[in-house]
Amino acid sequence: MPRAIGIDLGTTNSLVAHVDERNRPQVLEVDGGSRLLPSAVYYDAGGDPEVGAGAKRRAPERPLDTILSVKRFMGRGPGDIRPEDRGIYRFDEAGAVVKLVLNGGTRAVTPIEVSAEILRVLKRSAAEALGGAPGGCVITVPAYFDDAQRQATKDAGRLAGLEVLRLLNEPTAAALAYGLDKRSRGVFAVYDLGGGTFDVSILRLDGGVFEVLSTVGDTHLGGDDFDRLVARKLMQEGLTPVNDAPSPAVLRGAVAAAQKIREELTAHEVVEADVELPEGHRLRARLTRAELEALIQPVVDRTTGPCESALRDANVVKVDGVVLVGGATRTPLVRRHVRRLFGQEPLTDLDPDTVVALGAAVQADALDRGGREDVLLLDVIPLSLGVEMMGGVVEKIIMRNSTIPASATQQFTTYADGQTGMVVHVVQGERELARDCRSLARFTLKGIPPMPAGIARVEITYAVDADGILQVSARELTTGIEQKIQVKPTYGLTEEEVEQMLVESIEHAEEDVTQRFLVEWRVEGDRILGSLESAFGLDGGLLSDAERAAIDERMRGLRDAMAGTDYLAIKAWIESVDAASKAFAERRMDKHIRQAMAGHRVQEFAESIVEHPRATGSKDGDLEDEGT
Amino acid sequence: MRHPTCWSCELELESGTLFCPRCRKIQPVARTEDYFSLLGLQREFALDRADLERRFRELSRVLHPDRFARAEPRERRLSLERATRLNDAFRYLKDWRLRAAYLLKLAGTDVFSEGRTFADPEFLEEQLEWREALALALSDGDVEALRRIARAARARLEGIEAEVGGMFEDDHWFSELPVEIARRLSRARYYDNIVADAERGAAAAGH
Ligand SMILES: Nc1ncnc2c1ncn2[C@@H]1O[C@H](COP(=O)(O)OP(=O)(O)O)[C@@H](O)[C@H]1O
Ligand SMILES: [Mg+2]
Ligand SMILES: [Zn+2]
Repeated sequence: MPRAIGIDLGTTNSLVAHVDERNRPQVLEVDGGSRLLPSAVYYDAGGDPEVGAGAKRRAPERPLDTILSVKRFMGRGPGDIRPEDRGIYRFDEAGAVVKLVLNGGTRAVTPIEVSAEILRVLKRSAAEALGGAPGGCVITVPAYFDDAQRQATKDAGRLAGLEVLRLLNEPTAAALAYGLDKRSRGVFAVYDLGGGTFDVSILRLDGGVFEVLSTVGDTHLGGDDFDRLVARKLMQEGLTPVNDAPSPAVLRGAVAAAQKIREELTAHEVVEADVELPEGHRLRARLTRAELEALIQPVVDRTTGPCESALRDANVVKVDGVVLVGGATRTPLVRRHVRRLFGQEPLTDLDPDTVVALGAAVQADALDRGGREDVLLLDVIPLSLGVEMMGGVVEKIIMRNSTIPASATQQFTTYADGQTGMVVHVVQGERELARDCRSLARFTLKGIPPMPAGIARVEITYAVDADGILQVSARELTTGIEQKIQVKPTYGLTEEEVEQMLVESIEHAEEDVTQRFLVEWRVEGDRILGSLESAFGLDGGLLSDAERAAIDERMRGLRDAMAGTDYLAIKAWIESVDAASKAFAERRMDKHIRQAMAGHRVQEFAESIVEHPRATGSKDGDLEDEGT
Repeated sequence: MRHPTCWSCELELESGTLFCPRCRKIQPVARTEDYFSLLGLQREFALDRADLERRFRELSRVLHPDRFARAEPRERRLSLERATRLNDAFRYLKDWRLRAAYLLKLAGTDVFSEGRTFADPEFLEEQLEWREALALALSDGDVEALRRIARAARARLEGIEAEVGGMFEDDHWFSELPVEIARRLSRARYYDNIVADAERGAAAAGH
């Protein structure tokens, strides 16, 4: 039977783990024997991308074609990549999706595709280690990831041909690995300082229930920041020839050297190095631990605020234990800082590098087996979800730290006489103004009957699922007819784009995409058969015997095709069933709309999926007039 | 009343059934369920926090989507719906302000949406004083004063909670007291804001 796997898709390093026959979570080997796969992808002009340590080694020499820390770009729209993140990369931000431009402008890839390359390697390694393709998987994300970043991560998983059972917050995963290990009880803090992100979560463990009380973080705080500071100092002191505007290649080399020196200072008091850099440069460096600590202290201090707010949000003053996660928590200064902050020695029984992957494996295994009686994860949404009101202020609909899945509904009204449309701008964040929050989606609710201002009632419902991903629906309540619009925000990639990429990947990769299509089209076939079956039950009377027979015959054809292995055949039969049942669907629609006119509700039939472009940076657009 | 039937095996069910006793499939939330009944509680303001938590966890264990990752799509959807409602219910009931507002709503009183203002001049006057004290402490970065203000506002909140609790004890609260209760809730909002601002200020000034 295929085994479920847990994946820690890290900024710096990625890992894959599973639960073995003896019920112990184990990290699997990747990348030729190591357990950590550097999250580096090198794109050679001609061939397939290279992932891992090999790719990382290319970085100094081919900086623009080697993507490091791609996680920082996940779920980012045009214009919302921070200047300090852009680094040396070139971006194509013309479309709705940000792309990284490579190979001298001949190639452009989305962060989702880059992440999918990493996931493919993990998947392949897992398949080798387990002796067969893995089953479902759990991918971890920083607790602080917003909706767009979560969507992007899920898309990357799909693109890599993985069945993503769940996105799991990294600190929760760590707690899971610890809590199960120790049968602990009490309130715990998880302090996760990785390469690129910092998260702190407060959890209560009790009788197998892991309840996240609060989570706070900074998506731009980590070991990378240490490296930049160290590199700058070392270059000022020992770069030859002296160079005030070093090229990307030289910078990359210096940062890589800085990282190595910094990591060595964890075990040593002083490190000396003499490193060859590209373009005839050379870096001679000597750094003591005390000097390092003086340099990075300000960055470490930036973790204090989030820890304090997490405690405040959780309404606790002290914790029973602190779990360290992330490679950067090996730094002695960080450990001292944590000890002082929480007034106790942090727990380090588990390796901070692997603890997240281990927890992910535990969760994947549990999900795969239909959940575990003894464990329950109650996670929260990290950032409030709101809607932009007149004047650009945000009205919060779901507050941060609400346990997920969660939903909330609020009513709004028009502000102009005769207003027939309302722009709903969905944002995420804690700031008061929409322009300071993350813009997730914008859509227009149309068809409000013209009425004086303030009379119409529009009800907006936000629903967050167990992955922390949002769905928004809006309906107009004033008239007898309810209108319901489902908005599933699409961040960056549309369904077709993902499909297109999958098709393209057939040409390159060894992935068995056909198999995946087969599964997906079977699921789709099931869905269609099921919904027709239930429609026959409700409205079978709308069909003549001949019509019914025609549909039945094609449904049989679809069933047969689904039993086979040709996904194109299934697809063709689905189209055929659709065509045969089109008139039926229309009649049902009519019938139910007639009922609605008679004062009943229009049910699912009036639901329509509204696609909308991601619009960021626009300052107008509140719950505003869309013309009459 | 007509009994619902199981969507899977069509067995007739008691309304409020979580799982069909025959086929074990999860059942949809009945329209008649409210946040209290979902948790098996009476519609009352008074509530035992530990008991509420226990009920919430027990239900979460069986309804959470984690238990349905490998179930068929319909079961997955129902679990998501149920777990969502459960979390929403827990969120509402554990906070006394939301619980009180929810009881007002269930009783059919529409005190909030009638556009009433609940604040009386005296109360607003007093709020101005609180705000002035807060502004002063904030501009001085006086952590001690900020903590003191937060503590005092919390004490007020506790007082209001007790008052509201007392009103709900009245057997006829829904005919006579909704406006009074709503007034207390609106006051509580002012104090909540003071606590939040003072604590945030104290944390910021503490560095
Ligand atoms: N021995 C060490 N001492 C200090 N820092 C270390 C050590 N080993 C790894 N790190 C740092 O840990 C970070 C990577 O942590 P990791 O948890 O893998 O990150 P992420 O979760 O972002 O992928 C890097 O900044 C790396 O330099
Ligand atoms: Mg990590
Ligand atoms: Zn049944």
